[in-house]
Amino acid sequence: MTFLRLDSIKKNFGDVSVIKGVTFSAAKGEFVVFVGPSGCGKSTLLRMIAGLEDVSEGQLRIDDKDVTYEEPAKREVSMVFQSYALYPHMSVFENMAFGLRMAKMPENEIRTRVAEAARILQLEPLLERKPRALSGGQRQRVAIGRSIVRHPKIFLFDEPLSNLDAELRSQMRVEIAKLHRSLGATMVYVTHDQVEAMTLADRIVVLRAGLVEQIGSPTELYDRPANTFVAGFIGSPKMNFINATVSAAGPGSLVLDHVTFVGGRLVVDTPSAGKVKVGDTVIVGLRPEHLEIGSSAPVLSLTLDFAENLGGSTQLYARGEGEPVIIVTPGRPALDAGDTVKAGISPKHIYLFDAAGIAL
Amino acid sequence: MRVSGKLFHALGLAVVVVFTLFPFFWMVAASFKTQADILATPPVWFFTPTLQNYQEIFADSKVIGAIGNSLLIATATTALAVLLGAPAAFALARYEFRGKSDLWFWFISNRMTSPIVLALPVYLLAMQANLLDTHIVLILIYLTFNLPIVVWICTDQFKSIPADLEQAARLDGADQFTIFRKIYLPLAAPGIAVSAIFSFIFSWNELLYALVLTRRAAQTAPVVATSFMSGYELPWGKIMAAGTVIVLPVTIFALLVSRHMVRGLTMGATK
Repeated sequence: MTFLRLDSIKKNFGDVSVIKGVTFSAAKGEFVVFVGPSGCGKSTLLRMIAGLEDVSEGQLRIDDKDVTYEEPAKREVSMVFQSYALYPHMSVFENMAFGLRMAKMPENEIRTRVAEAARILQLEPLLERKPRALSGGQRQRVAIGRSIVRHPKIFLFDEPLSNLDAELRSQMRVEIAKLHRSLGATMVYVTHDQVEAMTLADRIVVLRAGLVEQIGSPTELYDRPANTFVAGFIGSPKMNFINATVSAAGPGSLVLDHVTFVGGRLVVDTPSAGKVKVGDTVIVGLRPEHLEIGSSAPVLSLTLDFAENLGGSTQLYARGEGEPVIIVTPGRPALDAGDTVKAGISPKHIYLFDAAGIAL
Repeated sequence: MRVSGKLFHALGLAVVVVFTLFPFFWMVAASFKTQADILATPPVWFFTPTLQNYQEIFADSKVIGAIGNSLLIATATTALAVLLGAPAAFALARYEFRGKSDLWFWFISNRMTSPIVLALPVYLLAMQANLLDTHIVLILIYLTFNLPIVVWICTDQFKSIPADLEQAARLDGADQFTIFRKIYLPLAAPGIAVSAIFSFIFSWNELLYALVLTRRAAQTAPVVATSFMSGYELPWGKIMAAGTVIVLPVTIFALLVSRHMVRGLTMGATK
């Protein structure tokens, strides 16, 4: 059942159109992640759901109620800010209790709810402290606690982990995932970090310049990206692209020419062969982690620029004829800069896009 | 290099301290001297203190009344200036509305004229309104001088509070007034305290309008202190004693509110 629905939502700041018509819906209990580069409008979209930004056009529904023009507090949503936005002059307890006091909740109910949230987030020993006496991770927990106590219909997160260091970030990521599972709550989460998106989301909404590029589960986006933008954004390191020319198009297979390919050409079996004709440009996408060096049937012939030893694996920065190609390979291959590297790939891992970047 | 740098620092500070505190010391010392000791050349550093001057000024009912007037007027002015100025500053800091920048300029422009330019028109207005020699007329006049300062300082202070806090409070269900009272006021307390100090000190020390607009009933302490100077006599001891009595409450007030001027009150709100 649809719990949150955005219908052709638009947002203009003066003459500048920031959100250019976003439609999507989320089911109850779903974890939705808005992801995209900075300036894509993901935070604005989230703030519109919260009611902190006016909706210029379109309709917003939460739990089957039109809340497009509803006051933020009446939407029964809560938000965790990137900056945490804790009240600095109030104790941890008062920070969490503030919203409940505003709702005129009886004092014993407030105590019960704050205690419950403090238990879930392991904040019990910190309840009397002021925010300035807390570490970054603890502040983050208090901000989440402030959301939990209100039992909101939807939790909104605006890049909540971007202020934390790497270790704490992955730790909090796991905690948020656990929290989602234990509360069963609907969550909308904004991030520019595709790792957070992949690990947390039931469904990812990829945004670019105010428009939805693709909506789907993490695996769908990874396996079947709709275009080169999504393909490049999801996955790390990002997908390698090679602009090849179609030299022959048979039924169910294509012959693609590019000097980087071993023997100057690559034969790909694809059901979309009919969509292109000889002479067209086709963008070939190859994920770094799918390329194998020392394969018996190499596809790419490259020159190594640099090798990064990551301990368990090695990241190779190589070059074909011009375009850079990154390869992630297990172990530590004995290679030096300038060496020729031949890399193969399983045919099912070859992505094809037309000249405009749309998946074939 | 470092040691000599510190020495320079200390020396510079010492010069400033002596420069600012010596007149104050001279005033307090003179208030305990006899007229002969005060006028002695070379100056007398060690003397038998006398309370004569204080006895004389406190015996004068004029002085007690004037201090009462000053307290009443300065307190009322400060309270009103903060009460009216802080909400105005909140609006200027957080809302967009038409004419905001004009209003802002108008507030500051009040401070651009020299007070004496307005003294005569204000006198005539006060006379017609039958307000001469009343507390109200001084409170109103001082308000016109103090409000811009309060608005100015508080606006700046409110602007420095992260907007995320207001939005978090809005999502928590707080209305504008609650946000102002529960979030902005406590966090801006240092700035509000500073503006209150300015306002109080200005009203307490003001002489020109007090001299022009009062006769007897609403006379303030500085006016009375100057009134000791008659054409033939300069009773330095009495003037200095009156000066000390006038300075004392402001000093105490400033020390009291300075507690609130702690830096870093907003620390911990955001990253």
